[in-house]
Amino acid sequence: MSQLFSRRAVLMQIGSAVIAGASSVPRHAFADLDSQPWFFLTDDEARWLAAIVDVFIPQDEFPSASQAGVVDFIDFQMATGYGQGEGLYLKGPFPEGTPQQGYQLPMTPAEMMRAGLTELRGETDLTAMPTADRAAWVDDLSNRDNMLGDVPSSTFFEELLSLTNEGYFADPIYRGNADYAGWRMVGFPGAHAYYTERVGDNKPTNQPPMGIAHGQLNQVSPRKIEQGG
Amino acid sequence: MSQRTLPKTDVVIVGGGWTGLTAAYELANAGQRCVVLERGRHRHTATSFAGPEEHDELKYALRYTHMQDVKKETLTFRNNRDQQALPMRRLGSFLPGSGLGGAGIHWNGQIWRPLPSDLEMRSHYEDRYGSQFISDDLTIQDWGVTYDELEPHLDFFERICGAAGYAGNLNGETRAGGNPFEGSRTADYPNPAMKQPISNTLFGKAAEKLGYNPFPMPSANVTQAYENPYGAQLHPCTYCGFCERFGCGYYAKADPIICVYDRIKDHENFEIRFEAQVLQVEKSADGKTATGVTYLDENGVEVFQPADTVCLNAYALWNVHLMLVSGLGTPYDPETRTGTVGRNYSYQTIAAVDAFFDDSITTNPFMGAGALGVVVDDFNGDNFDHSELGFLGGGYIACKQYHGRPISYQPVPEGTPRWGAEWKRAVRENYNRHADLVIHGSSVSTHENYLDLDPTWTDAYGRPLLRMTFNFPDNDRKMSDYVMNRAVEIAREMDNVTSVKSVNLAAEGNDYSVVPYQTTHNVGGAVIGTDPATSVVNRYGQMWDHHNVFVFGACLFPQNLGYNPTGPLMGLAYWTLDHMKNDYLSNPRPLMDA
Ligand SMILES: Cc1cc2nc3c(=O)[nH]c(=O)nc-3n(C[C@H](O)[C@H](O)[C@H](O)COP(=O)(O)OP(=O)(O)OC[C@H]3O[C@@H](n4cnc5c(N)ncnc54)[C@H](O)[C@@H]3O)c2cc1C
Ligand code: SF4
Repeated sequence: MSQLFSRRAVLMQIGSAVIAGASSVPRHAFADLDSQPWFFLTDDEARWLAAIVDVFIPQDEFPSASQAGVVDFIDFQMATGYGQGEGLYLKGPFPEGTPQQGYQLPMTPAEMMRAGLTELRGETDLTAMPTADRAAWVDDLSNRDNMLGDVPSSTFFEELLSLTNEGYFADPIYRGNADYAGWRMVGFPGAHAYYTERVGDNKPTNQPPMGIAHGQLNQVSPRKIEQGG
Repeated sequence: MSQRTLPKTDVVIVGGGWTGLTAAYELANAGQRCVVLERGRHRHTATSFAGPEEHDELKYALRYTHMQDVKKETLTFRNNRDQQALPMRRLGSFLPGSGLGGAGIHWNGQIWRPLPSDLEMRSHYEDRYGSQFISDDLTIQDWGVTYDELEPHLDFFERICGAAGYAGNLNGETRAGGNPFEGSRTADYPNPAMKQPISNTLFGKAAEKLGYNPFPMPSANVTQAYENPYGAQLHPCTYCGFCERFGCGYYAKADPIICVYDRIKDHENFEIRFEAQVLQVEKSADGKTATGVTYLDENGVEVFQPADTVCLNAYALWNVHLMLVSGLGTPYDPETRTGTVGRNYSYQTIAAVDAFFDDSITTNPFMGAGALGVVVDDFNGDNFDHSELGFLGGGYIACKQYHGRPISYQPVPEGTPRWGAEWKRAVRENYNRHADLVIHGSSVSTHENYLDLDPTWTDAYGRPLLRMTFNFPDNDRKMSDYVMNRAVEIAREMDNVTSVKSVNLAAEGNDYSVVPYQTTHNVGGAVIGTDPATSVVNRYGQMWDHHNVFVFGACLFPQNLGYNPTGPLMGLAYWTLDHMKNDYLSNPRPLMDA
């Protein structure tokens, strides 16, 4: 069975409540990325990532991580400043440190991503594993203290977890948080922020989210990721 | 050596943040030709910080786009002298600024004064508890300047910022609803206190029930249209929730660009150069004075800027670094416990308490502001009896609502897994049901926490990195635990609270880490005092060893108070500038005998 994790597929698969929510956004002109290649990832890496990020953030009434474009987000991050080592001091030597001393690897996040994915994919084809078994495997990964090539597994794991979180909740200009999935889930109204009158009113906010480029840029929907099984 | 030498100026100022721009304003208006050298770029509140573009959590809060680039300058860190210090390869625990306005554009705006006893810490504790009370491993000392001396300057900075609050001690009279422990003020805050969200209000009620004295946190998030003494116009805060780590395009958070720079930038005595990285301070042949500074200009050309007076305003850590690489003063040696530059580095001791509400409460956490809080000061400083406690110092307990930015603001109750369906549900259910309490604790100085130069790693300009050796002193571990437990009691007393969790970053067994953000309140390393054996500058902020070098910023603090540093350090800045203008500049000499 192959599963399609595109935005359209999401809308077809999940319940009417969310479709009602999502259909309030049609003012976006959705430009599909499906025909474009990844910036950084290979198709196989993207599939493997989709599998693991959906363990971190599975689908419920709100989309899963990959449904919300987290793989697109990670791909874009790895190809741009952060992934390429912006804001990272990379002068050697590189002795091993204590956890309190923080990141000490001689590589950029993109290099670490490639190294970790290569090792883990070589070891376990997560996409072939029944969905029900994946959570236990991820749990086990989180408790390992071995090396994935030159990368400690715990460092790689934490990086994936935080990228997933960022991708689900960052402004959609970074290609995750599609249809404001993360923001709708918690009720965050977004970047247009002016609340002087309302502070202290103790009332729910029903303002639909608006991102930085709301209504201005074509919003990009997540690429379809075929999950082989 | 320098490829170019420029004409001499009266004053050269290293750094264009709160202290540097203020020094330039005051000295330029006193007839001194001032050149400010700022390593970062020009940016402006009006053009650079406007929403919605500024409201980008990933870019500014997580990728630190407004902050210092560690590729160019960073430091190495270790917990103790037995370890090898390693580079801080990414920002984390603290976020120093770079560019016009320095860290002053992305601060919270929590604007405090020191307690009178904070400034006389050693003598105060000895007087009250006896000379045996202070343990030998602590190097806490008096500032050499008193609250009464600083009061007019603390007051003036509050006016520059349009501070919003409610005085608790006006001309010696205590007023209900303010902080009853604060030193006497000669005037109330220039603007009324902020509106409070439900979480903070419930905290205040519970604190009151327990017999404490809650009051609104003093804020440089301005509450009404306001003109400061320099003529800057500030606007009311919109509670936008993109405050700390962001610039305020609403002109509502006092920052050095709108409050100071705009009011001086066209003055004939003022000049600022951007992308001007100061590499070292140069000394005269006899070593007694500085002759100016060498910097790399925006084209990478090494330039010597001669000056009669040198002001170090480069932020606490980088002031100390500049002294060490320039051979100003004597470096501290922990073996012999001699020397002063780098001595008495301290930090801030942070603990946190989370309270979770039932569903009758909707906090709307995104309606926040950097200094939106209700505070109790009953466990700060020496506001409570320490005789049986086995530690000194304390901290304020605040319930704050400063943002609800969804990547970072994910409060979940104790026992929630870190990912998966259960985590996802908990994030959703608790986003609007959470009160955020912080214990903002003091930090004592010790013989073993200090700054020096690293033997191995260098910055982009080939200079040795600063090396930080720091761990939480036992005193502060106990202090933090004690005050945190008082905060837990208040949280439990709050209406509609269903569960409470707490974390003390300085708990027994937790070594200080440079990874998680704590505060950008690095203090000490070039401390103020009256004894050259234990201080780098005299009580006027003037270097003992080089009388034409004046030092500004939190590096002056001999140990850290329980408050955020900018109010106190700006009080000191105005105090120093006062003495420069009215005494030193007309007759340059050491203002105190060594
Ligand atoms: C996220 C955050 C929140 C904060 N919140 C609060 C708060 O609520 N309350 C509070 O009291 N304090 C707060 N602070 C601290 C506050 O920002 C600082 O105390 C204050 O900015 C210090 O002013 P300064 O002039 O000493 O240094 P800065 O404002 O940091 O300015 C120093 C300037 O010097 C420049 N510089 C450094 N080295 C060189 C060199 N070699 N050559 C040329 N230029 C150089 C830097 O680029 C920078 O622009 C916060 C800080 C941060 C980062
Ligand atoms: S919360 Fe207020 S002071 Fe802070 S950035 Fe927003 S408008 Fe400015």
